[in-house]
Amino acid sequence: MKYTDKEVQVPLCAVSTTSSLVNKTGTWKSAQPLFVDRVSPCNQQCPAGEDITGYMYLASQGRYEEAWTLIMEENPFPAIMGRVCFHSCEERCNRKEHDEPVAIHMVERFIGDYGLARRLKIPVPEPEKNKRVAIVGAGPAGLTTGYHLRRMGYGVTIFDSSQEPGGMMLYGIPAYRLPKEVLDGEISRLYGMGIEFRMGVRVGKDIAWEVLDTQFKAVFIAVGAWEESSLRINGLNKKGIFNALDFLQEINLGKKPRTGKRITVIGGGNSAIDCARVCRRLGAEVRIIYRRGEAEMPAHTEEIEMAKEEGIEFLFLASPVAVYGQEKVSGVKVEKMALGEVDDSGRRSPVPTGQTSDIECDGMIIAIGETTRVSELPPFLSHRGGIVEADQMGQTPCPTFFAGGDIIDIPHTVTHAIGSGKRAAVAIDRFLRGIKGEKGSPDLSKWGDSGNISLARLRGASLFCRRNPTLEVIDYGDMNPFYFDCRPRIKTKRIPVDARLKGFQEVAEGLTEEEVLSEARRCFNCGSCTECGNCYIFCPENSIRKDPGGYGYIADMDYCKGCGICVNECPRGAMTMSLLEH
Amino acid sequence: MRKVVTGNQAVAYGAMLSDVQVVAAYPITPQTTIIEELADMQAEGLVDLDYIRVESEHSAMAACIGASMGGVRAFTATCGQGLFLMHEMLHYAAGARTPVVMANVNRAAAAPWSIYSDQTDSVSQRDTGWIQLYCEGNQEVLDTTIMAFKIAERIRLPAMVILDAFFLSHTSEPIDIPDREAVRGFLAPYDPGDLWLDPDNPRTFGSMCTTDVYMEFRWQIQRDMERATQLINEVQDEFGRRFGRNYRQVEGYRSDDADIVMVVSGTVASTGRDAIDYLRAKGETVGMVKLKTLRPFPRQEIVAALRGKKKVAVIDRNFSPGATGVWAQEIRGALYELPEDERPIIYGYIAGLGGRDISVKAIEGIYEKTLQSDRPDDIDMWIGVKYV
Repeated sequence: MKYTDKEVQVPLCAVSTTSSLVNKTGTWKSAQPLFVDRVSPCNQQCPAGEDITGYMYLASQGRYEEAWTLIMEENPFPAIMGRVCFHSCEERCNRKEHDEPVAIHMVERFIGDYGLARRLKIPVPEPEKNKRVAIVGAGPAGLTTGYHLRRMGYGVTIFDSSQEPGGMMLYGIPAYRLPKEVLDGEISRLYGMGIEFRMGVRVGKDIAWEVLDTQFKAVFIAVGAWEESSLRINGLNKKGIFNALDFLQEINLGKKPRTGKRITVIGGGNSAIDCARVCRRLGAEVRIIYRRGEAEMPAHTEEIEMAKEEGIEFLFLASPVAVYGQEKVSGVKVEKMALGEVDDSGRRSPVPTGQTSDIECDGMIIAIGETTRVSELPPFLSHRGGIVEADQMGQTPCPTFFAGGDIIDIPHTVTHAIGSGKRAAVAIDRFLRGIKGEKGSPDLSKWGDSGNISLARLRGASLFCRRNPTLEVIDYGDMNPFYFDCRPRIKTKRIPVDARLKGFQEVAEGLTEEEVLSEARRCFNCGSCTECGNCYIFCPENSIRKDPGGYGYIADMDYCKGCGICVNECPRGAMTMSLLEH
Repeated sequence: MRKVVTGNQAVAYGAMLSDVQVVAAYPITPQTTIIEELADMQAEGLVDLDYIRVESEHSAMAACIGASMGGVRAFTATCGQGLFLMHEMLHYAAGARTPVVMANVNRAAAAPWSIYSDQTDSVSQRDTGWIQLYCEGNQEVLDTTIMAFKIAERIRLPAMVILDAFFLSHTSEPIDIPDREAVRGFLAPYDPGDLWLDPDNPRTFGSMCTTDVYMEFRWQIQRDMERATQLINEVQDEFGRRFGRNYRQVEGYRSDDADIVMVVSGTVASTGRDAIDYLRAKGETVGMVKLKTLRPFPRQEIVAALRGKKKVAVIDRNFSPGATGVWAQEIRGALYELPEDERPIIYGYIAGLGGRDISVKAIEGIYEKTLQSDRPDDIDMWIGVKYV
């Protein structure tokens, strides 16, 4: 057997000692993977524009201080937020398509309490001279604006006619929902940041608006909505009749208003529930009268549920038409209502039926909504129906004047007020630095088109992996839920009813650290890279590697063939394929 | 140890006794019980192997090639459609010189769908560079599996152990299970020499080759296949000395003085032995030659066995559409070198496709037909075909 004249000198198998890296297979691709930062629905939903996916990720690793700092980028009051925010984020949580939404507010409360317990602080630069901003109103909106402006280097003076800062958080929310020491702890942090407080000063009376305008570069007005809407019925001047805000304010000042033993509360909002629950704690029997049905109540479902637990009765489809009694209220005449067409609020409207009945009571609280006291506004600002005219960022037609909180056209919640305060701080900063138009537009830093601005996004701060930020909101269908198991949401605990009715002890119990870790790990971190490593594991070309610059992974375009497996296997939609033009 | 086992169990025993280190396999009837048996053996701690679950036969072979390149003994099993799916990787395994051993349970090709036996699956992998070893009974299956590792690793080419679906795979017979230490004495642990993927010495194997060296690599495969003919005999001889069972690539049965010789492979050989005995008892001068290796094809041994016979009847349980049965093609080619007066007339028969029985009566018919005609009616003749 002879095939050739000489024995060949080659190994059995082709062997190359040259690295195959010389073959730049990346030239074959027609599309490439990109690591992107998509917007989670919870972040988009958060009126305060918090980075929920970010701090849930940090909390899931026990990095509570970093989680706290991340919340503080957007919102100065995490411990308050975890208690009083009605957490609409959880209604948008993608996890609800999988099993149950993450208990975001409970994790936030834990992180906030962690910061309070350790007296964590936020570093601030020295205030620059000649860059002072006046803030009128020390409620959640004004405090938030002051906080953000201080962090940006502005000098801040906050004016308020009350003796203590906090606004509605202090005077409107009962202690069983927001303990006083939590509120004090969160606000006292602001004192440590060099914010000047001038309490007991009513601007417009004690000091003229024009003086403020000359002494400060800009003025932010957030005086709140302290005018209780009035019922259009006779007999409201009798003793034993209160309006909700006066009543709650007295309670929170430590007074005990003489309301009576059998109280009727008129209204279906959160203030009505607050008043009713306070009265139960004062030992009264309480009935709430609301002119629409339970489904139409603006009060939060959990609040209604807790009110029922505490023995508060509800009379739906009933509207007061007259008050009985001589000097003191002794009862109320109500008319039975029916539900009619859907009105502008999107709820079915109440329609009178003509049938009436009488309810006995010796006290009555009116809680049918609050509006701005227009006498407290500068006369040169235009407003309609208690709503001050301002653009999306809060700037009024008088360019040095900005507005936020309950006096502008947003829902009356603490979280919305905080969100408006942040927008105003950004607007004031841009105004004072003379930035206009598209350049550095905060719109690109929003959590999606309809979300609030993220200051961390605006500053390009990368406490967490935030590469190629997009405005794209990611829903459950865009993710790869194969990688997530099903685990039930943590059950939130409340103290027993008899303990609640003995005083003003906080009703909702906090989570243990173990529970927080477990709940934070339920978060999908939608749209964010958590360094899970699936892209790295699945890449058939070994072209995904750890980012040598720090967080996350990079794709080596010299070798990536553009197959897209990494994008498919990314559990949380933090990658996308982008077509290349050849 | 005597034990009653199926052909598939015999394969698993063979692999287990060979201390196989990696099994990557995908289930397919009638092979599945081989890899199930091996999984059980692993679970029971009888063999220390890594079992890789894969999503296809193509991947199974790819994983075995990778394992083999990593320097360990790799094994898989398949049949029919699974073998067809592996086809690309079969070429690769040979070209990369990885001594993977695979059991192939002969299963007829679809369509029409069939799970029964014929050799079309393995004979159509004839040109992939694999050594092919066909077995007659369960003992031979076990013994051949062990020998296959030794042959493949010595020559550094992959080897296929082939057994008929159901006739062997699912049929039990008593066989001798060799002692483990005795097998270890026969088959040393795999030594990959210099050709393995050493993480400390990174190299690429089977990399892109220019026109000036490609042909040399292929030539070496051919050179080593030719050497394998001799090596297989040496390994069979050593096995015979150690275990007392002798195998040959070309085994004659009452063929020395025969005028007409039947050439068979696989289980047809065992039926053939009865048919030959029956015909001999009737006074016919007929014998049989059983073939074990299709690749390398033992050309010289076949020439020696058939030289000077009047007629040779080749029974192929396979066929190549447009040509003839594959064994018949090979034998015609091998005998062509004989001078015309020593060259037998070749009668090619196609029988038993899709698991149809090749009975003693059918073999007797083939003999009668061969005996009574001076020349074959056709280049190949189909036995027992109805309805056409």
